[in-house]
Amino acid sequence: MSFRRLPLLAFLAAGLTSVGSAAPVAFDEVRAVFEGKCLECHNPEKTKGKLLMTTREGFLKGGESAAALIGVAADQSELVKRLLLPADHDDLMPPKGGPLPAAEIDLLRRWVAEGAVWPAGVVLVAKDKAKEEAKAELVQKLTTLEKLEIFPESITLETKRDFHRIVVFATFKDATTRDVTAFADLKVGDGKVAKLDAYSVHAVADVGSTEVVASLGGRVARIPVAVKEGHKDRAVSFRQDVMPVFLRANCNSGGCHGAARGKDGFRLSLFGMDPDGDYIRLTRELIGRRINLAIPEESTLVEKSTGAVPHTGNKLYDADSSYNQTILEWIANGAKNDAPSIAKVTGIEVFPKQIVLEGKAATQQITVRATYSDGTDRDVTKLALFMSNNDPVAKIDKDGLVRSGDRGAAFMLARFDVFSVTAQAIVIPKGLVYERPKVAEVNYIDKAVNERLHRLRIVPSETCTDEEFIRRVYIDVVGLYPKPAELTAFLADKRPDRRAQLVEGLLQRKEFTELWVMKWAELLQIRSDIPGNNNVPPFYKNALLYYNWMAAEIGKNRPINEIVVDLLSASGGTVSAPAVNYYQSELDRLKLSENVAQVFMGMRIQCAQCHNHPFDRWTMDDYYGFNAFFAQIGRKATDDPQEVIVFNSKGGESQHFLTKKSVKPKFLGGEEPELKPGDDRRRVMAEWLASPRNPYFARNVANLVWAHFLGVGVVDPVDDVRVSNPPSNPELLDELAARLTDYKYDVRRLVRDITASAAYQRSSKTNASNADDKLNFARAQVRRVRAEVLLDAISQITETPNKFQGLPLGARAVQIADGAVSNYFLQTFGRSKRESVASTEVKTDPNLSQALHLMNGDAVNDRIRRGQVVEKLIADGKKDDEIIRELFLRVFGRLPGANENKAISAAIAADPAGRRFVLEDTFWALMNSKEFYFNH
Amino acid sequence: MHVGMIGTLGLSLPGMLRLKASEIGKVESFNAMADAVIHIYLPGGMAQHESWDPKPFASPDYRGPYTPIKTSVPGEYVGEKFVNIAKIMNKLTVVRSMTHGEAAHERGTHNMFTGYRPSPALKFPSYGSVISHEQGSRNNLPPYVVVPNQSIPDQGTGYMSSAFGPFALGSDPADKGFAVRDLLAPKDVTSQRFDRRRSMLTAVDEHFRTTEKSDAIGAMDSFQQAAYGLVSSAKAREAFDLSKESDKLRDEYGRNTAGQRFLLARRLVEAGVRMVSVTFGGWDHHSNIKGAFDGLAPSFDQAFARLITDLQDRGMLKRTLVLVSSEFGRTPKINGTNGRDHWPRVFSVAMAGGGMKEGYIHGASDALGGEPDRDAVGPEDLAKTMYRVLGINAEKRIMSDGGRPIDIVNGGRVMTDWLT
Repeated sequence: MSFRRLPLLAFLAAGLTSVGSAAPVAFDEVRAVFEGKCLECHNPEKTKGKLLMTTREGFLKGGESAAALIGVAADQSELVKRLLLPADHDDLMPPKGGPLPAAEIDLLRRWVAEGAVWPAGVVLVAKDKAKEEAKAELVQKLTTLEKLEIFPESITLETKRDFHRIVVFATFKDATTRDVTAFADLKVGDGKVAKLDAYSVHAVADVGSTEVVASLGGRVARIPVAVKEGHKDRAVSFRQDVMPVFLRANCNSGGCHGAARGKDGFRLSLFGMDPDGDYIRLTRELIGRRINLAIPEESTLVEKSTGAVPHTGNKLYDADSSYNQTILEWIANGAKNDAPSIAKVTGIEVFPKQIVLEGKAATQQITVRATYSDGTDRDVTKLALFMSNNDPVAKIDKDGLVRSGDRGAAFMLARFDVFSVTAQAIVIPKGLVYERPKVAEVNYIDKAVNERLHRLRIVPSETCTDEEFIRRVYIDVVGLYPKPAELTAFLADKRPDRRAQLVEGLLQRKEFTELWVMKWAELLQIRSDIPGNNNVPPFYKNALLYYNWMAAEIGKNRPINEIVVDLLSASGGTVSAPAVNYYQSELDRLKLSENVAQVFMGMRIQCAQCHNHPFDRWTMDDYYGFNAFFAQIGRKATDDPQEVIVFNSKGGESQHFLTKKSVKPKFLGGEEPELKPGDDRRRVMAEWLASPRNPYFARNVANLVWAHFLGVGVVDPVDDVRVSNPPSNPELLDELAARLTDYKYDVRRLVRDITASAAYQRSSKTNASNADDKLNFARAQVRRVRAEVLLDAISQITETPNKFQGLPLGARAVQIADGAVSNYFLQTFGRSKRESVASTEVKTDPNLSQALHLMNGDAVNDRIRRGQVVEKLIADGKKDDEIIRELFLRVFGRLPGANENKAISAAIAADPAGRRFVLEDTFWALMNSKEFYFNH
Repeated sequence: MHVGMIGTLGLSLPGMLRLKASEIGKVESFNAMADAVIHIYLPGGMAQHESWDPKPFASPDYRGPYTPIKTSVPGEYVGEKFVNIAKIMNKLTVVRSMTHGEAAHERGTHNMFTGYRPSPALKFPSYGSVISHEQGSRNNLPPYVVVPNQSIPDQGTGYMSSAFGPFALGSDPADKGFAVRDLLAPKDVTSQRFDRRRSMLTAVDEHFRTTEKSDAIGAMDSFQQAAYGLVSSAKAREAFDLSKESDKLRDEYGRNTAGQRFLLARRLVEAGVRMVSVTFGGWDHHSNIKGAFDGLAPSFDQAFARLITDLQDRGMLKRTLVLVSSEFGRTPKINGTNGRDHWPRVFSVAMAGGGMKEGYIHGASDALGGEPDRDAVGPEDLAKTMYRVLGINAEKRIMSDGGRPIDIVNGGRVMTDWLT
């Protein structure tokens, strides 16, 4: 380094007189002040006030306030002037924490007066305070370092354009993780083969292999690097390079040019689903305007996106960004379309896949790697779109940097091409005092749930009482409230396995079957078209026969997969072969295939009817491939309007919305089956759908069952399985699905496991760590009981039989075959009308009509009078406290508390002549109280 | 009959929950210009050409099957079937440059009931639920009533507790013998028993209330309080009683679903309901738009015009905002089946009262009615202005589940041009 002194401005000499005889200022002292106090803003990335203070040239050039920082006299230099301003002046430097200490100001004054000597070639670097602090903090944490990894776990560099960004990832003993890329000592084994540039690995040699080595805290991680054709270039491709820019910059989103009619006269296919069409629109419409081959920079495609000309969507990226460079290069090369053989994306992967961040504002870089059909891979982090499903817990920025927020779990979705994948982020409070509690682990369910809770540092609630348990399992397993005799018998049972015994008995009851028949009847939309007109299809008779078929199949305890195969491959008449009514509940073929996906696989594929799904894996090819299984359904009327024959018509194809070509049948998320002409496509599809070959079927049924018992699905809502709505506990769902498959799809056995688990048997009382958690099964959820079960309970408790159309007196609301048969109570309390397959058809939200109906309507008041329960108890000579006890057991499933007894006794004492009325009013109050309406 | 009076209990419907819901940051408070909103929603997407924004000088392919008619505002036309509306045009503010990007019914409907684009991550509350949340109950009446039923999911509470949900009539005011059920205590329950039941309920509810916590329990509780308020107030109950209106007026509104629903809406806001959300008809006219309009438009025309003059006669128009909207407009060109298809690029909404200008046209569509020509207005502008009129600053943020504060309306402008 040369320390040749350079008198910058000779006329400054005049100022020298003011500094007297002190020794000349050493530049290192000045440098320390600049680096510590000024460069945070005046660095090449920020250049505040257009002043760059890292180099001598930038410093001399000055900023926007003054042409040069050096004035005639030291005190007239802009630099010194700004340092000397009063403390409350807006222009004072530095703006934060200023003014500088007098000694530093004096130092700089002297330095300026001496001619502001800056040794040639010295470049200053800002001291990153945050980084220094983070490093100091990390050193402490490193004593508990358990594992050091580099992602991706290997790198292949195929051309000289290829690069892969690496992430160095530390896992600590407390299971927390950290992005330590900036702190690790990084090296490439052989610098002649590959090099590191800003954490990205690039090829140096044409062919060769080496490794990247990261060391930190005494641990070392290595990944292999293979270079193939590292000197070869590849041309910018329309599909591989240009189209991803459109997706990344949101050009082709639904609100912009991706809209069906485009935007401001320019249309792109939504999410880039139609590259050929986009190519034509770009190059063949308004020739020479969107693409200007002569002067690429003057293409509207370039000018609009870089903000050079007004653009409704504003500036999307800088002119010197890699995005714009890609577009420019493509145009400069002639804006060519790709050869048909161009490699396609076959999948993407994110790294790291699981992170556990500690405290707020911790960060972690996520990278995305795409693989192509020619066997190559690329780092597409800069081209992918990122989204968090839970921003308060963890946000992700557009470059894939995750930043933690509140405690909880979140999924980071990355989308590239038609693929979406997620990484899971867990955030736990910093410095949390936590010790893994000893929690009961009854079976595989608890293993998965407890592990998850441990990772989230959530302590589960206690086990519920026997009183709570019996009421809960009665409502959940058989849809009934326990009767007083059943309650007392159970509470007197002292066997250690009494809870399992109780469930065993309930599973054998017909009400268990009926509850599940009702749930399936909702999913299969078993309903007639009764309201208004009973004379149009579907007819009540059809609905009834269909329901009875379903009830008989489930009643026989046939495995659900077999029932589904029979249902979906049914042929015959709607009266003579009732299962075919499934194909009468939805005549629109597109909707029908959507319904099948939603009901049996829990997936909503509707979006893919017109465009590739934006938040999921489904493409239009998948959609129309699946739809093709339903393309050959024939329907034929008979002389009985109630009897419609559904048959395999052996003809008809599924036409792609965009290409208008016939699409071959392809299982959703599976392969294309071999089909002979005339094969019943529905049967082929059904046999795949309800089998272990289709991983979604067992998962979906298991999740439906789980959600029924726990109030929240592992995937929730249960019919919205998609990449961007991942299961809250993937291990749990995998295990439930595997067991259900092993059990040959016998739902009873799964119910046994669930009700036996500690997770199901928890109390609804919260503790500090689980009060805000609703998704991880740390406590029982308080749930409003569904309408049918409530009405049946009111009927049972008040001893007043129900009467529904088509059913004998005393039938239960759960047994109603037809979704269109209802009454005011059921409607108001949210019974499913079965008008759609959506899980939201069943409503349990409270509303004012419900409150009014309970208070004044016939459901409670009239039934208390009609059933004469209180009158009979009085006639039997029962004492007040006996009657109160009986009523509490009937309605709440528990004994009255002391305060409750006291209040009621006092009311009787106040009106002894009206004893019956007081007791009936008590009965009314119990049935108007929240405790009756909620399962807890 | 007379039931026990429970006047002292502060029966504001969502009072308790409202206090609980954290409110984030302070925003400037506004003086209310109106006390209530009647939101008339025409589901399906009413064609702008046949209604508020006719194109009398366009070719028949675009103009449509009707001959536009002159209105009481010089130089302005409405569709041929809007005979009565033409006469009261000088009371209305019509926005002819509404625009958004959602061409599917459920997505467009979402825009027009919430002021937000649909999001996969969050469900947004309807206007009525926000108003319930912000202003609560008045005169023992539910703050938010849907007439006749909640047929549209977007009329719901979104991320808010269901305590702010609408009260649905449960039957159609146009039905013979229309009555809202369960408003009166059962005949055999004397006021003494009614009071006793209530205190008994408090006694047996105590245990559960103190041991269990969930939004649904809180919501059920607040509805119970609201039910007591409604049942205890004869005046409040009468708001739902259409038979208290003269036969003459009922005839003038029209003895059909439009007339009777709009009339009931007026009774409700008169009594103290803050937001009445009325739906009428099905306006998704992909084919034979003329036949459909011939059937639907006259009853809408008659009922709407009478509603405005009725409000005016009663001196209520100044303090009541009437808003007519639809999820989108329809294509400028008549299609192959003599209908028009979905078109969100430009359509119209009409308003009256509540501080809106009289006889004012905002914005314009282009010559064919296909794009906004000037002064485009988005759903967020409409929502923000509507809230402003009620004295609600839509920049306020409300806490959603998971501690995420959400603006009542994200962005948008208060359209001061519309206001007097």
